[in-house]
Amino acid sequence: MIKQFLSLEWKQFKRASYFQKGLVIKIFLILGALYFGGIALFMGVGMFFIAKKAIPDVDPIITVNNFLIYWFLFELLIRYFMQQLPVMNVKPLMTIPIKRDTVIHYLLGKTTLSFFNFLSLFLFLPFSIVLLVKGYPVINVFCWFLSIIFVTLSINFLNFLVNKSNTVFYIAAPLLLGLIALEFYGIYAASEPIGFAFNTLYNLPYLAIIPVLLLVVLYQLNFKYIKKGFYLDDAVSKKIKEVEATDLSWFDRFGSIAPFLKNDIKLIWRNARPKQTMMMSFMFLFYGLIFYTQDMYREMPAILAFASMFVTGGFLMTFGQLVPSWDSEYYKMLMSQNIPYRQYLESKWYLMVVAVAISFILSTPYIFFGWDIFGMIAAGALFNIGLNSFITLFGGALNRMPVELNTKAKAFSNTNGFNPTQMLIALPKFLLPMGLFYIPYKIVNFETGILVLALSGVIGIVFKNFFLRKIENVYQDGKYKTIAAFSEKK
Amino acid sequence: MIVTSNLSKKYNDIQVLNIESLEIPKGQSFGLVGNNGAGKTTYFSLLLDLIQPTTGYIKNNEVLVNESEDWKPFTSAFIDETFLIGYLTAEEYFYFIGELRGQNKSDVDKLVAQFEDFFHGEILNQKKYLRDLSKGNQKKAGIVAALIGNPEVIILDEPFANLDPTTQIRLKGIIKDLAETKGVTVLISSHDLLHVTDVCERIVVLEKGKVVKDLRTSAATLKELEAHFAGTETV
Repeated sequence: MIKQFLSLEWKQFKRASYFQKGLVIKIFLILGALYFGGIALFMGVGMFFIAKKAIPDVDPIITVNNFLIYWFLFELLIRYFMQQLPVMNVKPLMTIPIKRDTVIHYLLGKTTLSFFNFLSLFLFLPFSIVLLVKGYPVINVFCWFLSIIFVTLSINFLNFLVNKSNTVFYIAAPLLLGLIALEFYGIYAASEPIGFAFNTLYNLPYLAIIPVLLLVVLYQLNFKYIKKGFYLDDAVSKKIKEVEATDLSWFDRFGSIAPFLKNDIKLIWRNARPKQTMMMSFMFLFYGLIFYTQDMYREMPAILAFASMFVTGGFLMTFGQLVPSWDSEYYKMLMSQNIPYRQYLESKWYLMVVAVAISFILSTPYIFFGWDIFGMIAAGALFNIGLNSFITLFGGALNRMPVELNTKAKAFSNTNGFNPTQMLIALPKFLLPMGLFYIPYKIVNFETGILVLALSGVIGIVFKNFFLRKIENVYQDGKYKTIAAFSEKK
Repeated sequence: MIVTSNLSKKYNDIQVLNIESLEIPKGQSFGLVGNNGAGKTTYFSLLLDLIQPTTGYIKNNEVLVNESEDWKPFTSAFIDETFLIGYLTAEEYFYFIGELRGQNKSDVDKLVAQFEDFFHGEILNQKKYLRDLSKGNQKKAGIVAALIGNPEVIILDEPFANLDPTTQIRLKGIIKDLAETKGVTVLISSHDLLHVTDVCERIVVLEKGKVVKDLRTSAATLKELEAHFAGTETV
């Protein structure tokens, strides 16, 4: 039986639309996988030495153990956003004479092959090997490594349960942030007791039985959960949600774009995929932390300009690159209605502008890094509103990928950005802010650089109608192509 | 109202539709029947300018469909569930369509209220998104949405499929009323010969993209159609 399942799985993989997309994408996917795998391997090997260098008087294994909890919590969060639960695939299996238990075991077993589980493996296997090479006791290292893998698998199954209940999520997320804050300000180091626990685990190898038990318990919980809901109307078919109706008549004041604006807000609020995009775009806010904190980048202001653009541009770029794909599910209907493209586009543009404004307000803590940095962020925000928004919308118009609104994007199966046109469109998004800042900076000074970058945005706003008309033309010219692409089966 | 001339559509050299000439006068209830792949949906898609004709044209009220967009304000359609916006409730969807067609909330409410019977209490005030409704109920919502904004041409692809018997009968009443008393040109396609002959004044049979029969509905029409599709027709 399992053999047949596997052959089905293989066919699904081989015949999946994203796999047949052409050579360029395949190469990118392979490169991407190699890249991330390579980074994990590299980190795994390097972890020992980094830990040793950072805290020289402590045994690296103890340091690593002390920080493990953050890795696991981080993993849980990432999984929550990115990992797809293999729920829908069981539908055709339900009417076939196979024991339910077999299907469920198979289903749960399949989740262990998720990319995220391998991430841990890639990270901790080389680390363990380094430990062995350095002469650490074999039994301890081996059992410790197994424990880590078991904990990872436990997280895999915990995520399954967490995904079913928002409550668990809203407990986990603030807990993680709270712990980091407490640790950061030296109020309470939660990593200590947990680190102590992991160290005990390392010192007493037979305790590896605990993670095994944890895994068994979580597996059983999942098994029971799925078995209980193994009917079409429960776990398999999507849950029917009560409508969250909000009065959006306030938006009527925006006149002719109001119907679209109201619709777009509902689109983001009520569908898994755009909601995910919105959540992810918050991550961009922290992008500056990587660059502003390091002296190395202080010497490379062009890179800083790029980072500043990113801080406020998260939603703009992630949401904007999929306009009009967001409306792909009912694009035919829109096209048979008397839709003015201009108002349709303007609505999306306003959303993006508002998102930039909100990101900008949220980015005020960056003043901490100095007014010059904050000035850069402000200029970046103006660039985003005035130029980047149009570039992104233009790229989106050429991007004819249907989007399934109510399914979360899978990690690494989202190939929307992976075609040559998109790559070409992405270039000006990155190069323009760098160039607009860097050239006047080199010729005159820092302030002029910021001023020019900001002015470019203002000019963009002035020429808004011109840009929108150009994008409109793309829509008009590509109408039939877009309709055909959007009605393709996913 | 609708003039089709020399219309053809090819996909990779395979001809899926070829209509030399077809005229549908204003206020006619027009039925299109044919087996799978006969070209019914292709014809409707061409009427809505969702695909490009290989040759020829369609004129909707003197407007060249594939060149101007002026036919949109007086034409409406429901082809399949992809015409619905899944994350809206039925009411929100009606208001959205209403806003696109220049109708305010109370106009829409007034129109929708007439179809309470047709909805059978399963569409309005359900606190459900359209994507969570059953196929039949989705269809009901889509059909009524196509009536918003006083369109002069209404195109419905397979309106009877997936509907329960009560609703099918009510839908027939609605379509007849539109054509007879309101002067609306209604185009429907169907696999159900009985329904089409009940509702339509005129029935055209498509076969492999070509018009093979063009009938004024009479008492004998149903028999003739049945004979045609059973392949027992006497020539």
